Amino acid sequence: MALSRRGFSLLALAVTANPAMAAHVDYPRVRPGAQLRFPADHGAHPEHRTEWWYLTGWLRTAGGEPNGFQVTFFRTRPDVDPANPSAFAPRQVLFAHAALSDPKVGRLAHAQRVARAGFGLAEARVGDADIRIDDWRFWRMADGRFRTRVGGTEFQMDLTVAPTQPPVLQGEHGFSRKGPALEQASYYYSLPHMQVSGMLRRGGRLESVTGEAWMDREWSSSILGADAVGWDWTGLNLEGGGALTAFQVRDASGQSLWAGGSLREAGNMMAFAPADVWFEPIQRWRSPRTGATYPVEQRLSVKTPGGVRIWRIRPLFNDQELDSRAGGGPVYWEGAATVEGGRGYLELTGYAAPLRM
Amino acid sequence: MRPEAAGGLAARWMLLGEWRAHPARVATAVMAIAVGVALAFAVHLINASALNEFSKALRTVNGDADLQVRSASPQGFAESAYPAAAGVEGIAAVSPGVEFAASVGAATGVTLIGLDPLRAALVTPALLSAPTGGQAAPGAEVFDPDAVRLSPAALADAGVQIGGDVVITAAGITRVFRVVGVLSAAPEGRKLAVIDIAAAQWRFGQLGRLQRLDLKLAPGADADRVSEALRRVLPVDAAISNRQTAGRRSDSLSRAYRVNLQMLGLVALLTGGFLVFSAQSLSVARRRPQFALLRVLGTPRRALMAQVLAEGAIVGVFGAGAGLAVGFGIAATALRLLGGDLGGGYFQGGRPQLVFAPVAAAVFFGLGLAAAILGALLPARAAARAEPAVALKGAGEVWGAPGRISAWTATALLCAGALATTAPAIGGVSVFGYLAIALLLAGGVTAMPWLARLMLTPLSRRDLGSAWAMLAAQRLWGAPGQGALALCGIVASTSLMIAMAVMVTSFRSSVTEWLGQILPADLYVRMDGGGGLDPQAQTRLATVPGVAHIAFRRTTSLSLSPNLPPIALIAEPLGKGRPTLPLIGRYAPPPAGVISVWASEPAARIYGLNTGVRRRLPLGPRGTLVNVAGVWRDYAHQQGAISIDIGDYERLTGEHLRTEAAVTVTPGVAPAEVARRLRAALPPASAQQTLIAEPREIRARALSVFDRSFLVTYGLEAIAILVGLTGVGATFAAQTLARAKEFGMLRHVGVRRGQVVAMLAAEGALLGAVGAVAGIALGLAMSQVLIHVVNPQSFNWTMRTQIPWVLLMGVTESLVTTSAGAAVAAGWRALSADAIRAVREDW
Amino acid sequence: MPTHGSDNSPILRLERLTKSVSGGRTLFANLDLSVRAGELVAVTGESGVGKSTLLNLIAGLDRSDSGETWVDGLALSVLDDDARTNLRRDRIGFVFQAFHILPHLTLARNVALPLALQGVPAKAALARANEMLEAVDLGGRGDEPPSNLSGGELQRVAIARALAHRPALILADEPTGNLDPETAARVLDIFLCQVRQAGAAAVVVTHSESVAAAADRRLTLTAEGLHGRHAP
Repeated sequence: MALSRRGFSLLALAVTANPAMAAHVDYPRVRPGAQLRFPADHGAHPEHRTEWWYLTGWLRTAGGEPNGFQVTFFRTRPDVDPANPSAFAPRQVLFAHAALSDPKVGRLAHAQRVARAGFGLAEARVGDADIRIDDWRFWRMADGRFRTRVGGTEFQMDLTVAPTQPPVLQGEHGFSRKGPALEQASYYYSLPHMQVSGMLRRGGRLESVTGEAWMDREWSSSILGADAVGWDWTGLNLEGGGALTAFQVRDASGQSLWAGGSLREAGNMMAFAPADVWFEPIQRWRSPRTGATYPVEQRLSVKTPGGVRIWRIRPLFNDQELDSRAGGGPVYWEGAATVEGGRGYLELTGYAAPLRM
Repeated sequence: MRPEAAGGLAARWMLLGEWRAHPARVATAVMAIAVGVALAFAVHLINASALNEFSKALRTVNGDADLQVRSASPQGFAESAYPAAAGVEGIAAVSPGVEFAASVGAATGVTLIGLDPLRAALVTPALLSAPTGGQAAPGAEVFDPDAVRLSPAALADAGVQIGGDVVITAAGITRVFRVVGVLSAAPEGRKLAVIDIAAAQWRFGQLGRLQRLDLKLAPGADADRVSEALRRVLPVDAAISNRQTAGRRSDSLSRAYRVNLQMLGLVALLTGGFLVFSAQSLSVARRRPQFALLRVLGTPRRALMAQVLAEGAIVGVFGAGAGLAVGFGIAATALRLLGGDLGGGYFQGGRPQLVFAPVAAAVFFGLGLAAAILGALLPARAAARAEPAVALKGAGEVWGAPGRISAWTATALLCAGALATTAPAIGGVSVFGYLAIALLLAGGVTAMPWLARLMLTPLSRRDLGSAWAMLAAQRLWGAPGQGALALCGIVASTSLMIAMAVMVTSFRSSVTEWLGQILPADLYVRMDGGGGLDPQAQTRLATVPGVAHIAFRRTTSLSLSPNLPPIALIAEPLGKGRPTLPLIGRYAPPPAGVISVWASEPAARIYGLNTGVRRRLPLGPRGTLVNVAGVWRDYAHQQGAISIDIGDYERLTGEHLRTEAAVTVTPGVAPAEVARRLRAALPPASAQQTLIAEPREIRARALSVFDRSFLVTYGLEAIAILVGLTGVGATFAAQTLARAKEFGMLRHVGVRRGQVVAMLAAEGALLGAVGAVAGIALGLAMSQVLIHVVNPQSFNWTMRTQIPWVLLMGVTESLVTTSAGAAVAAGWRALSADAIRAVREDW
Repeated sequence: MPTHGSDNSPILRLERLTKSVSGGRTLFANLDLSVRAGELVAVTGESGVGKSTLLNLIAGLDRSDSGETWVDGLALSVLDDDARTNLRRDRIGFVFQAFHILPHLTLARNVALPLALQGVPAKAALARANEMLEAVDLGGRGDEPPSNLSGGELQRVAIARALAHRPALILADEPTGNLDPETAARVLDIFLCQVRQAGAAAVVVTHSESVAAAADRRLTLTAEGLHGRHAP
């Protein structure tokens, strides 16, 4: 559930949490029953408050060493006066984040971009996926494959990502609830088991990489409930083509306020109700930098018609904490993880400090 | 045998004995050096502090940008330059900005900057109130179009609190903003306000325009190559600058003024050197028998020379040391009272911190020491050369000037000085002009023995009727070297003072005349702090009862070179044909279809915008070809100004705002009453920041600004005179006391005490008069160098010579009376009972 | 306590000394003179005959046209200015007609000046100076400034100074010329007494009969040379 991660970015705060600002913009609500259409829904939905293109996955380098990666583009529509005719008016703001999890490094390498849309320097296309911020870009090519070019001082990536399965429409055909209130919801689909190929440059060395990725697409105008402090999320590519999504929203006591997810296996699609998903910490890791303690190893239980199924989620390595405060973001844990018979990503938020939304 | 130690003890006894006997003389010499060092060092410190402050302010406003693109005029350039610049290879980040001169609450002179904080964070983080982000979600107001962040100085001056509302006026538009934060990284004293770029464009009518782009280069990118590539994509009304050009800009802004003050300080030091020379020469001459005795008793020549040099060096060490301390004090006081430009009006906003400069301190200490040692060098050689047997017998001219100089040396120096006036300025600094002044000074001082004899010859040949007058004239005529010694310091300081006085008087009278020419109307309206009059406001003012005629003007700036500060662009109703500007030289009507502009004298000199020149000015995105129709006299804009007809200006820029107006009042109506009505008709927000004045008030204010900027000059002059007069007093005291034996003899042969005193008074007065005449003559010559060489080369303006007769007479009179008075005062002491016994003694 | 001339060789020897003044007039020619340690020679003669010049030649302050001067065994003609300066400093004491006491130094410092110039430490130099002041009947007045002193007293200070560094040769130019007869007699007594005690050779240029009479040898300088007659 990628809503969480983007939700507490600075920009989202900027546009959602300022009571001093008069509301100018009437954001469209997310409603059940909408029909997602492709490739149009790969493109931006600028009327909605927030939106993201969220790519996580595993890379195999030439040396055979597995690395995790994430490439994330966000779009947000601040609540500014639409009357401002200035080309600089922040009608849309784009934000992107890239990170690399190399066990040999033992921590995340990351880079980011942020800009208000305009002047051809930062744009999010409507109708098909094409988001760019300066030299960073994520787009869908004519042959249906996605491609992204991102990088910073520590690494640069140029990856082509090919879908191998139709989209997983989360919740009710893409309408995914995030809390007890009906408006706490998003449009949400995922593309699991995407095939990755491309180039990775690190420390001046260029290597070709292959791998498997997971893409989350979500857009919404809603916000989480006031009592939520954070959430846990995972998206796992299972051997044999299965795709498992699970998330829970936590309150201050660590109790689950809402949960959900899905399992698509052998053409069978199961959507989970809040009572169907449990996360149980097995091992905790304390960050020496921020002092936050994360349940980096968890037991995930989901109730399926065939009975309760259990996965033990283990991190690729412990220190996959991401401190994006310098760029205006939060501190959270976003890491490559494995389960028996599958691999994916685990996201843990609200552990360093409660999210103030 | 230990020769060093041998000299040491005896030399120490001699030094201590001498100083104990004549503390005042030593003190004078120390003071002379101290004053010179203090002035030079103080001026340097103030300049260094002000420049440091200025460049610090510049760095902060420009953030850490590697390169900056700035608009040639406040109208800005098209915002399409922003993506164009972002696309240039080698540029890592671009932060666009809108920039205005503004008033914020009660604070005027504020730089209002509209920024995109997301971009600025990468290029100019110092312009953001805190690192964007952090756990406390400070970015809540990131895009708030009504939020402003202020630097501490702006916050203090504006008189608001964080969270409070403040009225901001810029580009003639007034809006209310809420203060949401402090720009804590802004330098002390610098008034800055930062709002969102979109709000800035929208609220202040700048849609589509930018005034600046701050650029960050990619690692390893070559700044020159990037600049070259940038130049190809930028419109002509945008110019690229980097840290060097920005530094040069700020430096050139006040360089001439600073160099002038620095030169004055060094000249004071030079005068100090002359005074040491004068004092040491007299001291050595007086002590000739003592030195002779030491030679007879077995002191080597070089030990004597070393002793006199050591005296000079000790004077130098104490003088220079005291000078550094005093200079630091002067600098601190001046900075506090006058600001970093010493009242020159070059640096606005920001009170500089005094920065102690160890290297400069060492240099000025060295200069002071060198002046003292050089001043002692000739006397030291004279002391060593003396024939001991002869000197012990008291034969020869006790007062002989050491190494007498012929008129040839003086002539050569004066000719070299004249030649130096023909050389051009170097880098905007009139190096040769100052060299000419130094040469004239040296030549004039060198010529003094010859000149003194020339002037005294008629007196010496005439029967003056009384014995004492005859004695006085004969004595001075007979010992011109001695007269020259006494006159050295006087002539040096007098001539410099006269030169400065003549220059300042000429300048002031030219400015007064010019003010009369440029202020023909009855009332003048000027809006400060970002205010302006839109067409409706103009109509309102034009229809105010009592206004017979109103001419609106717009003054803005135009950057013609990235290395130089922008010039003033004055748009006013000039009409076709010859305008009412105070023109210098001919008028060249433009060919059909070419726009006329009128360059101020500094603009003509700096940019070669002489009458008839055709040039493309950065007005409008592709520039505009203009014809310089004439050159006008201007003392208001040292960096240059260009006048253009307001109609042409409006066509070129589409600008309707006016910042000034000249009002002719209907006959019979009181201008003050019209002023009151005009003020009532102004937009309320800008009424407070609008100045409505009658020409006489403006004249008075302009002249007071003028006087303020010359305040330090006056101060330096006063000190130069004081040092000079002190030198006169000390010199006469020394001479007179040393002649006690002569007076004893005169008393013995029956000359009355009163007659001796009268003789001394006459001698003093004669010497003072000779000094005054020579000093004034030399000073007038040097003033012409200042007026016709230094000023045009440094400030790019000319003036007509005006001689301050009253001051000249005052100087003559005070020199004559001081000299006479000092001589008489010393004479009374010399004539005391003790002195009679001096006949028996050799000293 | 004689320190020089323990052998019998002369302290001062002039050999065929010739000096003319500018204008070509010969002051004296082929002058010979020899003065031994402990011997006091008076030189008399008319004004302008060159008595003072003779003293300057002996002191190395002036150069002869020909001939040679030996002082304590050193030939002056081969010495450069510095060497002659050192010779004066170390081996010669001076007494002048006009006293030449430095007005800004105390009496003790005036007397100690030759020692100070030799590099003797201040304490030792001042001790010796006070000893000499004692010897010229000015004991205990070392810290006074010269301005308090009469002419006779000033000349006694000068005598103390001339002998403070135990010179081999004393040169005196009209030592009593500026003094009244009574004072002159007393100063002369002291001068003679000190010179004899020091055992130095001395040349005194004088017009005074009493001074001349007190000398061991009395010579008269004329253009033709020195004409001597031995004192009784």
